[in-house]
Amino acid sequence: MRLPRFDYLEPANLEETLDLLSTHRDDVKILAGGTDLLVRMKKGLLKPKKLISLKALDELSYIKEENGVIKIGSRTSLSDIIHSNLIQKKAEALFQACEKIGAVTIQHCRGTIGGNILQDNRCHHYNQSEFHRSGRQACHKDGGKICYARDEADRCNSTCQSDGATALMAIGANLTLAQKGGERTVDLDNFYTTDGIMPFAMESHELLKEIAIPIQGAKSAYKRLAYRSAIDYPIVCAGVLLKPSDTDKNKIADARIVVGAMGRAPLFLAKASSSLKGKNLTDKDAFKNAADISMNSAAPFAVHNVGATLEYRCDMVFEMVFQALEQAAIAVKK
Amino acid sequence: MEKIQITLDINNKPYDVRVYPNDTLLEVLRDELDLTGSKESCGEGVCGSCTVHMDGKPVRSCLTLALEAVGSKIKTVEGLASGEDLSDLQQSFIDHGAVQCGFCTPGMLMSADALLNVNPRPDEKTIRKALAGNICRCTGYAKIVEAVAHAGNPQDHCPDCKTGSKTVSKTKE
Ligand SMILES: Cc1cc2nc3c(=O)[nH]c(=O)nc-3n(C[C@H](O)[C@H](O)[C@H](O)COP(=O)(O)OP(=O)(O)OC[C@H]3O[C@@H](n4cnc5c(N)ncnc54)[C@H](O)[C@@H]3O)c2cc1C
Ligand code: SF4
Ligand code: FES
Ligand code: FES
Repeated sequence: MRLPRFDYLEPANLEETLDLLSTHRDDVKILAGGTDLLVRMKKGLLKPKKLISLKALDELSYIKEENGVIKIGSRTSLSDIIHSNLIQKKAEALFQACEKIGAVTIQHCRGTIGGNILQDNRCHHYNQSEFHRSGRQACHKDGGKICYARDEADRCNSTCQSDGATALMAIGANLTLAQKGGERTVDLDNFYTTDGIMPFAMESHELLKEIAIPIQGAKSAYKRLAYRSAIDYPIVCAGVLLKPSDTDKNKIADARIVVGAMGRAPLFLAKASSSLKGKNLTDKDAFKNAADISMNSAAPFAVHNVGATLEYRCDMVFEMVFQALEQAAIAVKK
Repeated sequence: MEKIQITLDINNKPYDVRVYPNDTLLEVLRDELDLTGSKESCGEGVCGSCTVHMDGKPVRSCLTLALEAVGSKIKTVEGLASGEDLSDLQQSFIDHGAVQCGFCTPGMLMSADALLNVNPRPDEKTIRKALAGNICRCTGYAKIVEAVAHAGNPQDHCPDCKTGSKTVSKTKE
């Protein structure tokens, strides 16, 4: 399968990269590991005139702890994240998620965390060859006016299948976006639009520079379901964070439950999360109740577009959330 | 769009070649340099038949631009043998019947070689994980896992092969 034509730019540093982004805007795409972008380009889903390679930008590849915050450069490879002691110990959900992404040989060495968060949403009606798509009317995401996944939908409901983003949202991460002459920080909770055509609230001349995770004296866990344990994207996943109370280590002071692969973005489930406040860490019924609320809250967002029946995926939300809560509770008690 | 002159370091040899920006490493290896050991099957990162090493790490050459490979040490399946002498891993694949149609084999060998370079005595679980990104439609994987375990543990006795090794060590759960 040939890639469409493009010009290749290899800036030497961040400043040059931001200059190029501000000059070329919609004509360019950033190339990090390429394991998402190049596949989409091969399928003719996008044809950028130019690619800006991050190859020379070693300055965006780091993992460090500063003032109670874990900071990860956007070009850090998944394999560096998996092998980081800091991430393994203090951002468990992110470690568990990255370990499950694709397979060692696909993503772990070339795939980056930035590219993982910014990989495009997916849909089995859309992520198809040009030939397949040429046989029928284009859907919203492909520039048309209909949706094959949900009748009468006025917008695209493609699914965010990023393992990394789901885990990062659970542990309260925020993103630093840089552009020529400035930077802004946005919570991952507020980073998504309501349309799967362009799922991220980010401009074409912005670059994802850093991911920051506050260390909150809490424990996190991540569970995902896919057809095969390797290669395949998740069809449901869940990241959770449990923070024990300062006064009683067996009580939950705060919780975050995030469900992924069930909507246009990872879903932070406020009602399910707050149902755990004040509950005991060993309270299985409370976990079951939270998993139940998660299932009911997530179901309306999902459409049948990433394999397996919708009913099955909804049912499995319960399992993923329950298992993740149990695992996080064990980690807190340790 | 013009071709760009680059030098690739493949199997410890410099190759001068002119490439388009949209040429993948796999296309350059196969179509420009006649290194046809690496195979293209899916072309979209799923199957693993195009696996090569970049700086010792296994990557999909169908999802790597040739331009991105400049400055890295590339190793392809052609780099495993020395002349006519197969590597232990290659010989083990033959001895254990780990090759049927052979299309997945170059990718399997490169994923396995990357594993053995960092972990010379892997157990079954580790081998399966390292090869999880490589799809084989013929062998059912068991023979491949055995072949890798053997290459990693040649001193153990194996009734199946001439060089003397054992079947795979089971993972202790
Ligand atoms: C067979 C296969 C299986 C996969 N399985 C999974 C899976 O199970 N789970 C999962 O989450 N993913 C999966 N992926 C998707 C992908 O490989 C990973 O998400 C990977 O981490 C993407 O990183 P990358 O660096 O290769 O991204 P790239 O392809 O380089 O980039 C992805 C997107 O992000 C943009 N981008 C990248 N970095 C920046 C930046 N710093 N600033 C602005 N924009 C940027 C690019 O322009 C592009 O649009 C799979 C892919 C394949 C081919
Ligand atoms: S959800 Fe609908 S509009 Fe979006 S990609 Fe799928 S078919 Fe197209
Ligand atoms: S040809 Fe590269 S992964 Fe299938
Ligand atoms: S031997 Fe035929 S695909 Fe593996």
